[in-house]
Parts: sequence; C-alpha cells; structure tokens
Amino acid sequence: MEPELATPFRERAGRALDDRFLQEALTVATTKFITLRREAFAELPEGDALRDQARAIKEATLQRLDYWLERLIERIESRGGHVHYATSADEARRVVLDIARRTGARMAVKSKSMATEEIHLNDALQAAGVTPVETDLGEYIIQLAHERPSHIIAPAIHKTKGQVAELFARELGRETEPDPEVLTRIARAELRQKFLDADLGISGANFAVAETGTVVLVTNEGNGRMVTSLPRVHVAVMGVEKVIPSMTDLAVFLAILAKSATGQKLSVYTSLVNGPRRGGEPEGPEELHLVLLDNGRVRQIAGPLREALNCLRCGACLNVCPVYRQIGGHAYGYTYPGPIGILLTAMLNGPAAVKDLAHASSLCGACMDACPVRIDIPKMLIELRREVDQQGIAPWPERAVFGAFAWLLQRPRLYRLSARLGRLLQRPFVRGGRIRWLPGLFGEWTRTRDLPAVARRTFHERWAALEREARR
Amino acid sequence: MTTKAEFFDRIRAEMARTPGRAPSALAARPVRPREGLDVLRRELSERWRENLDRFQHELERVGGVLHRVAEAGEVPDVVAQIAAERGMHRVVTWPRDTLGVDVAAPLVTRGFDAAVMPGTEVAAAERARLRGLAAAADLGVTGAEVAIAETGTLVVVSGAGRPRSTSLLPACHVAVFERDVLVESLVQMGLVLEAWHEGAEPSWRGAAINFITGPSRTADIELTLTRGVHGPKEVHAVFVERGLSVARRA
Repeated sequence: MEPELATPFRERAGRALDDRFLQEALTVATTKFITLRREAFAELPEGDALRDQARAIKEATLQRLDYWLERLIERIESRGGHVHYATSADEARRVVLDIARRTGARMAVKSKSMATEEIHLNDALQAAGVTPVETDLGEYIIQLAHERPSHIIAPAIHKTKGQVAELFARELGRETEPDPEVLTRIARAELRQKFLDADLGISGANFAVAETGTVVLVTNEGNGRMVTSLPRVHVAVMGVEKVIPSMTDLAVFLAILAKSATGQKLSVYTSLVNGPRRGGEPEGPEELHLVLLDNGRVRQIAGPLREALNCLRCGACLNVCPVYRQIGGHAYGYTYPGPIGILLTAMLNGPAAVKDLAHASSLCGACMDACPVRIDIPKMLIELRREVDQQGIAPWPERAVFGAFAWLLQRPRLYRLSARLGRLLQRPFVRGGRIRWLPGLFGEWTRTRDLPAVARRTFHERWAALEREARR
Repeated sequence: MTTKAEFFDRIRAEMARTPGRAPSALAARPVRPREGLDVLRRELSERWRENLDRFQHELERVGGVLHRVAEAGEVPDVVAQIAAERGMHRVVTWPRDTLGVDVAAPLVTRGFDAAVMPGTEVAAAERARLRGLAAAADLGVTGAEVAIAETGTLVVVSGAGRPRSTSLLPACHVAVFERDVLVESLVQMGLVLEAWHEGAEPSWRGAAINFITGPSRTADIELTLTRGVHGPKEVHAVFVERGLSVARRA
C-alpha cells in the first residue's frame, strides 16, 4: 500500500499547491528540462523521423513479443545468465529474495530502477535481512529521508540543498554546508565503500537486446556500472516490454532517450551487459539474473493501455504537463507520477486506483507532443475515464451530474429549454460575462475557476437565424 | 513460482486477442555487418580529421579534454603531466597489449606508483587485490575501441587485460585511441555493435561494453551540475597519430 494514499488526492494536491518551495522547485526544474530537451532536438534535424522510427520499432516488437522474449532468454542463458519469470510484484520480490538468500547476500547496492520501486523491493529486502542501498544520488537522498521519488529521472527534485545538508548531518553524522558539490562528495565517499562491500547488485534495465542477450543500462553517475561490475551477483528487474530486437534498434533509441530526458546527446554511461563475468576477465559478477516482470503489463497487450507499453521512462511528459508542474510527483500517490504515470498506475493497480487521477489532466496533449515515441496519452486517459465511469467506481456526485448531462444532451428540445432556463437562472451570478461563484455543490467548480456565462443567444438560435437569413 | 511455459502462455493468449495493429517496422539491420563495417571504416579513414575535430568539440561540451600526440611514445608524458598537475600519484593501467603502448614503466621511472592490470585469467584472491589497487588509484589508463564524434563518446570494451574498474574507480580516467576507431554517429555505432556480435565472439572479449560520454555527473541536488559522483570526475582522451599497436582489436 502506498503511504500517500491515506489522504485523498484532492487533499494531496492541495497540500502541494500550498507548498511554496515545492512550487518554486517544480517550476524551475520542469522549465529547465523543457528547455534542454528543446535545444537537444533542435540540433537533431532527423529527430522527428527517429521518433517515428522508435515508435514503429516498439510496435513491431510488441507484435512478436513472445518471439523476441524467447530469443532474449535463449541468448542470456547461452551466456550463463539466468532468467526468472514474475507475474506479480509479490512474485518478483520473492524471486529476488531467493537469489539473495541462496547467495548469502547481506547488502545490496541498487542503481536507479523504477521497476524495483514499483514492486517495493527495498522493504522486502530489509525485512529479509538484506540492507538495500540506493546509489543514485537522488534516490539515496530519498532513501535516507524515508521518502519516495517525486520525478522519474530527478527523484529528489522536491528537496532543497539545505534539507539535504540537514539530512546528511542527521543520518550520516556529517555536518556540512548546504553546497551541492560538497554534499555530492560526501555521498560519493559513503557509497563508494558500499559498492565495494556489497554482495548483490540490483538494477533495472532501460532495454534488453534480444539478438545478443544484452541488458542495457543508462546512467549519468556511474552507479549503473558499479552495480553491474563490482558485486558477486547482479540481478536486473525488467518489465517484459523493454525488450528490443537488435543493436541497430538500440542505436535509434539511444539517439532520442537522453535528449528527451535531460537534453543530453547521450547520458554519460550507457552500459551493455552481456552475461556474467567471462573467462579471462578480471572483474564482473559471477552470476547474472534477469527477472522478467509482468505485474499487469501482459494483460494490456490486448488492452486499452497497450500503447503505454511503449514508454521509455524518460520523464519528458511530466515536465510539460500543466498538472504535474503544479502538484509534483508525490501528490499522484503512486510509483509513477505524471500523465504516463496515471496510465501505468492503472496498468499496475487497475482502473479503480485512478478514479481521481484519471481526471488530473487537462487533456491538452502536451505530453503526447513531448513523448519520444508519441504515445497518445490523452486518448487513453479519456478511455480510462470511461472505464472508471462504467465500472461505477467514480464518485457518485460526478456520476449523477454527468448522467443527467448525458440524458439532457440526447433530448434536443429539453436541452434548448434548459439553455433558456440557465440564462434566466444565471442572472444573479454573472459578472462581466463570467460566473465566478455558485452556491452549494456547484461551488466546487467555481472554487478554482470561472464558468463562462450562457450566451445571450445560444449557438442553436444563431444558427437558426442564419438559416432563415440565407433562405430570404 | 510462475514457470516459463505459464508466463509465455499468458503472453500468447493476450497476443492472440490483440485488436487492429498499428504501423510497425524494425530498423533495417545490415545483412553482413562485418563487411559493412569494413566498407564504413575505409570511408571514414578519409574523414578522420573532421571527425576528430567534431569528437573534440563534443567531448569538450560534456566536460572532457582531448590531447593530441604524434607518437605512441608520448602517451606516458601526457599521463604524467595530467597526474602531476593534479598532485596524483597512484596510477593503474591496462597492459601494453590492450593499450597499444607501455605506460607503466615510464611512469615508474618518473616516480609514480603505477600498476599494470593483468592480461590473462587470474585467481580470485588476485582479482580482489587488483580491484583494491584500482579503488585506491587516482588515475586509470585504458584504451577505447570506438570514439563517436557526434556525441564525444568513448566506447570501452571489457575483457582479458581490459578490467572495467580502470575506467570507473579512479577519479581521473585517461583513454588512449587512434584514428581507426573514430566513427561519426550513433547510427554507425549500431553497425559496429552488429558487427561485433556477428558469429562467434572473440575469446578475449568480456561481458561489458561501456559508452562513456564525459565525466560522471549528477544534477540531483537543486539541478546543480556536479561532476564525479561515482565514476571519474575527469575524462581525458589522448589521440595518438602514429604507433599505437593494440593487439586483438575488437
């Protein structure tokens, strides 16, 4: 259970709106990411063609998903790697814990992975006596603070350097000035020893190349390299949709991933891991395990959220979303925030989980424009709203109002009559052509926005008049 | 626990129910990548100067430094200078075979503490000792199998005589390369990777291929760019015009 969910979405969002630092941090960060992304693509004339190509590759892979996964498994096993199958989050946790137990692991270093966040692996490891250590700086900060990431690629976006300094003083006993440079140096020293001591390295995977059996990790800090090189055992947890056919396909994705995420041409480290340590190699893990994760993904192959399986987890849609920019990641309440996060939450937890979140979008389409693989997020959000409504899990006032509205729309005469009635009833509330306040339940609408007044003449009336004129 | 068969049954059942299909196409793969790569290399050999300039420009944009030397024999001088300027003393380096030049001996002569990584399989205890050396080192010297001009990226392949930690644990990474390894773009790198995986892989090659694009960085605290989080704080690429002789080229 996600701890944030104890309070309703509206309250969580309200709290975020009242948090002045968060508001400032969100604006600065998302604006910066948007600018960097725009500049990066401006330098790449073939960017749009590459995005189309990437999308087509994802779809082609999905159409033969069983084939490409079989191929991946065969190649990994031929290199001495092991592949595991996890239908649920619980099963994925048990797979990893089994590996930890069998190899006698006491400490696990983790590189940033949304998949392991999604299955809440850290709590399970902790409970089993294996200390999990997040090594991405942002994730490390979040772990020390016992919080959760608020952005897919910048997990500690909501924290000030002052807060991080206080945190390091309290948790690490290191008093220091609130200087990012100094704080980073402290984290480097703390984590360096952990990399060297850990028995288990746990990562996600940005891609897995089927033809070669290669797990691909993209990081900027180098923790991905550490985690896959230093511990005795490497476990990668990966959603089934991350498989891609070939190295040629990989080159296409690499050309757009970092640009979409941080505006870099390429992230600092792209690590291609092809099995455990080979003979002659002085370093590398003795064992490599890939955990293939379903957790709601497979049923979307033929489901309404199929397109969301194309997501690269770059975070570009978060930065451009007018809702995310206002409320930040925590208010969403689940592992994946932002527009794509709503879809992924529905995928993982079912549509009931997003009965409020499905409406946390203005459907403006900025997410789809920013998405490197052009996922039609607004279309799926609308689909989710429909599903939420049909299953009767939407709040009753919402269902009642929209039910009445739908009923009315199907009866033209009544509709016209109600427009005239509305024009009459609205009189006391109209100021300068807008309704700024309404009583009772309707006040929920006008609390945060104005309602345009019903026009003096409705469209229907004007159209009828135009027709009469044309006939004359 | 879910078995492979059960897992795939579910996937196939869903695939069978998949309604209307969207446009799809895989990237066109080269039919004979090794031949394709040979052709490409010949073409590139005529443009290496432009590509090196581009590589330098991009490397500098991401905070790296390019050094150019005429002869392989000058590489130790460059390394010594980089180390001396930073007050660094402990150096680890790939062996002569994989680096293409002997760096350790000249450095030891100049008073540096330079250790050479082994070129062959070593016992577990020795592996642990070597890792300790890399972890304690200030500077690591490696080769590079590819340099990508478009992005300023060094591609380092692990294997016998090519430990991963040399380019990872020290605060300063120096990579030595020559004109043959320059490619122009990520797309060309895709061809290189296809060629590397065509047929049986050479026995010396290890399990890790790392693209390194500048020094390790983060912006996780208030989006302030900071270098050297876990990987090296500095990356130096040394371009050698003549005389680098790397055995077992990838």
